[in-house]
Amino acid sequence: FAQAPIVIKFSHVVALDTPKGQAAERFKQLAEKATNGRVKVEVYPNSQLYKDKEELEALQLGAVQMLAPSLAKFGPLGVKEFEVFDLPYIFPSKTALYNVTEGPIGKGLLKKLESKGITGLAYWDNGFKIMSANKPLRSPTDFRGLKMRIQSSKVLDAQMRMMGANPQVLAFSEVYQALQTGVVDGTENPPSNMYTQKMHEVQKYGTLSNHGYLGYAVIVNKKFWDGLPSDIRTALEGAMREATTYEKAIAQRDNDMALEAMKKSGKTQFIALTPQQQAEWKKALAPVQKQMESRIGADLINAINKESAK
Amino acid sequence: MKFLDHLEEWIIATLMGAATFIIFVAVVHRYLSGLPLGWLQDELIQINTSWAQEVCIYMFVWMAKFGAAYGVRTGIHVGVDVVINRLSTPWRNKFIIFGLLAGATFTGIVGTLGASFVWEIGHTEQTSADLEVPMWIVYLAVPLGSYLMSFRFLQVMVHFIRTGDLPKHDHSHVEGLDDELQGAKA
Amino acid sequence: MNALIIFALLLVLMLTGMPISISLGLTVLTFLFTMTQVPIESVALKLFTGIEKFEIMAIPFFILAGNFLTHGGVARRMINFATSCVGHWHGGLALAGVMACALFAAVSGSSPATVVAIGSIILPAMVKQGYPRKFGAGVITTSGALGILIPPSIVMVMYSVTTNTSVGALFMAGVVPGLMLAFLLGLTTWVLAKKHNYPRMKKATWGERLAAFRKSAWGLLLILIVMGGIYSGMFTPTEAAAMAAVYAFVIAVFVYKDLKIKQVGKVLLDSASMSAMLLYIITNAVLFSFLMTSENIPQQMAAWLTDQGLGPIAFLLVVNVLLLIAGNFMEPSSIVLIMAPILFPVAVALGINPIHFGILIVVNMEVGMCHPPVGLNLYVASGITKMGISELTVAVMPWLLTMLGFLMLVTYVPAISLWLPNLVYGSVG
Ligand code: NA
Ligand code: NA
Repeated sequence: FAQAPIVIKFSHVVALDTPKGQAAERFKQLAEKATNGRVKVEVYPNSQLYKDKEELEALQLGAVQMLAPSLAKFGPLGVKEFEVFDLPYIFPSKTALYNVTEGPIGKGLLKKLESKGITGLAYWDNGFKIMSANKPLRSPTDFRGLKMRIQSSKVLDAQMRMMGANPQVLAFSEVYQALQTGVVDGTENPPSNMYTQKMHEVQKYGTLSNHGYLGYAVIVNKKFWDGLPSDIRTALEGAMREATTYEKAIAQRDNDMALEAMKKSGKTQFIALTPQQQAEWKKALAPVQKQMESRIGADLINAINKESAK
Repeated sequence: MKFLDHLEEWIIATLMGAATFIIFVAVVHRYLSGLPLGWLQDELIQINTSWAQEVCIYMFVWMAKFGAAYGVRTGIHVGVDVVINRLSTPWRNKFIIFGLLAGATFTGIVGTLGASFVWEIGHTEQTSADLEVPMWIVYLAVPLGSYLMSFRFLQVMVHFIRTGDLPKHDHSHVEGLDDELQGAKA
Repeated sequence: MNALIIFALLLVLMLTGMPISISLGLTVLTFLFTMTQVPIESVALKLFTGIEKFEIMAIPFFILAGNFLTHGGVARRMINFATSCVGHWHGGLALAGVMACALFAAVSGSSPATVVAIGSIILPAMVKQGYPRKFGAGVITTSGALGILIPPSIVMVMYSVTTNTSVGALFMAGVVPGLMLAFLLGLTTWVLAKKHNYPRMKKATWGERLAAFRKSAWGLLLILIVMGGIYSGMFTPTEAAAMAAVYAFVIAVFVYKDLKIKQVGKVLLDSASMSAMLLYIITNAVLFSFLMTSENIPQQMAAWLTDQGLGPIAFLLVVNVLLLIAGNFMEPSSIVLIMAPILFPVAVALGINPIHFGILIVVNMEVGMCHPPVGLNLYVASGITKMGISELTVAVMPWLLTMLGFLMLVTYVPAISLWLPNLVYGSVG
C-alpha cells in the first residue's frame, strides 16, 4: 500500500522570483523526483508562515523542517562565529569565499549549529554588496555624518561607525520610503536586492565596493534529518548539491542583470573605485576585524585570512 | 490585592512613558548627529542608539500583555454583545459567565504554553539581536501576562456572580475633560 | 470544509458576547488541538512575535498623543477657530463642529476620540443655542469618523501592517478623501440647517479669526509635525507618532496647562490600556490568520473568488457589501485584521491599487462606526448626549447617507485616493 510521503516544510522570507526562491522550488522538484515522491517538499515563500525573527525558533521547535536564513541570523542563536561573514573585506574574491564555504572552515561552522538542534546542508549566495547614498562615496571621509541603514548586526554597526557614518537599524520593508524621504541617507545591498526593492530610484550614487558579502545557509531540523532513512537522506543531499549549484549561478546572473538594468535606468550613477581608493577603504575598515575578534574568535578570522591569502 | 493592582498599573504606565521617551531621544540623537557640529558630531556619532527600536518593541509587548490583564479588570475588551443583550437576564448572565470562563481558560492555556516555551528557549543561548538579552527573559511576558489575565477573568467572574456587576469601560470618559467643561461653564 | 468550521466556530463564539480577541484565540486553539499538524508551540511563539514589529508601535504612540490632546484645551481652541471661520453661515455652530472634527482628525488617529474631544464641548453649546439635540448628535457622530480617514489613522496603520503597504503613502492618500468627506458632511449640515432655519452666529472679523487661529496654532502645529515630519524625512511614521506624543504632552502640560502633571500618570495608564486592548486583538488576529495560512484557506478563498470571474467593479461592490455587513458586528481593527488578509490578494490579482483598496476599507470602517448595532462612535456619542442608540440611529441618517454616497465615489474613482500620493511619491502601490 502507498505510504504517506514525508513532508518537508521549507519556509523562507523572500519572493518566489529571487535566487533563493527559485532555488527552493528547484530543490523541491529535484528532491521529489530523486525520492520517487516519497518526500514531499512544501515551499512557503514571502514569510507566509514565519517571519524573519521567528523562523529559526520555528525550525528548532519542529514547526518547519527546512530554512535558508541569512548568515547574520545565527549570531543571536548563540553561534557568533557566523558574524565573520559580515566582516568588511574578509573575502577578496568569490574564489576565496568558496574556498572557505566549501572547505573545512565552512563545514566546521555548520557543525557548530548541531548543538542548537540544527543541521547545516549548504551555503547559498546572495552576493557582494554595493554602498549607496545620495552623494558620491569615493573616500571613507565621504561617509562622515551620513545616516546609513543596516540590518541589525554588531559587525555592520562597527563597519559604519568606522567610516564615520551613523548606522540606523531599519526593517527591510521600510527602507525604500526611508531613503526616499531622507530618514536615512544611504545603505548597502547586493545589486539584486537594490534593484528588486527599487532603491536605485531613490539613491543618486552607488559605489561598486564589494566590501562585504551577503549569504544564506540552508538548514534542517537535526532530529528530523537524523530520523530520515539513510537512502532518502542521500537522495536529498544530492538534490541539495544540484540546487546549490543552480542557486549560485542564478544569484550571479541576477546580480549582473540587476546592475545592468540599474545602470541603464540612469537613476543611479555607479562609481568604480580606483585601486588607490579601494586601498583607502580597506585601510579604514581594517580595524573592524580587530574590534570583533573577541566576539567572533581570532582563530577563525586568522584562518579565513590565511585561506584568502592563498 | 491592592498591591498587585497598583503594581500592574504602575508597570504599564511606566512602560508607555519610557518607550515614548526613548524613541524621542533616539530621533533627536539621529537628527543632531547628522548636523555638521565639528567635534560634537563625532561624539554624537559614537553614542549608540541603535537598540532603541528593539527596546521600544519589547517594552510595548510587555505593556500589551500586562495591559490586557488590566483591561479585563476594567472591562475594556470589546465583545459582540448585541445578541445576548436581547436575552432574558438569567440567560444573559449564563452567557456572561460562559464568556468569562472561556477567557480564563484561553489565557490559562496560553500561559501554560508560554511557560513551556520559555522553558525550552531557556535551554538555548538565544539572545535578542541588538541588546543581546537572553530571549527567555523577553518571552517571559507571555506566561506572566497570560496567567495574570486568567486570574483577572476569574476575579471578575466571582465578582459578577456575587454582585451581578461587570466592569464597564466608558469610552466617552476622558481624564480631565470634566474640569475643562466646568471651566467652560464658569 | 475546514474553512467553514473555522468561521462558524468564530461566529458562534463571538455572538456569545465574549471579547473578540478571546473568541479568535479559542477558535485557533480548538482547531489546533483537533484538526492540524501545526505544533502547538508555534502558538506561544506567535503570541509574542505577532506584534513584534516597529511599525505596529505607531498605534500606542498615536493613542497616547490623542489622549494628551483630548483634554479639552486643544479641542476647545480648534472649535473657537472653526467658529470664527464658518459660524456666520447657516447652522454655523454645527458647521464649526464639522470643521473642528476635521482639524482634530488631523492630529488624532482615532474616530471615537475625535467624537469625544469635539462632541463633549460643542454639543452642550449647540443645545444652548437652540439646536435640536439629535441634529448636533448626528453631525458630530459622523464627522468624528473623519478621525480615521484624515491622517494620522490607527486603522491605516493596521491595514498597512497586515498587507505590507506603506503607511506614509496611505496617510497621504487619506488627505483628499478626508477633506472631501468633510466638505460633503458640511454641505449636508448646511442644507439641513438652511431648511430648518437653524441659528447663525455673528460674523467674526479677520482680526478675531487671526486671534483664534493663533490660540489654536499650537495644536494645529501637530499636523505639521506628523505629516511634514514623515514627508520631509525627519521621521518614519512610527517615530512621528512618538514625536507627536511628546509634543502633545508638552502642549497639554506646559503650554495650554490643561493637564496637571499629576494627571499625566492616569493618561499614560489609560493610553496603555487602550493600546493593550488593540494589541491583544492584533495578537490573536495574527494567530488566526497564521492558522488559516497554514491550512491554505486564504489562498483557496482567493482562488474561489477569482474563479467567480468577478471583474474589479463587481469585486469592489462585493467587498463593500461584505465590509458593511461586518461593520454591523465588529469594530474596525478586528475587521481589518481578519478580512484584509483574505480580500487583499484578490484585489491585487485584479489589478486594484493596494493604497486605493486601503482607503476604500477605511471609508467602509467609518460608515460602520456610525451605525448600529455595533458602532463605537454611536456609543461614545450616546455617552456624551445621554441619548439612546435607536434615537441616535435616526439622528445620524442624513449624514450616513452622504457617507454611503461618498463610499461609492471613493470606490470607483481611484484618483481621489491616489492623486496626492502619486504627486508626492511618484507612483505608489
Ligand atoms: Na486622524
Ligand atoms: Na456598525
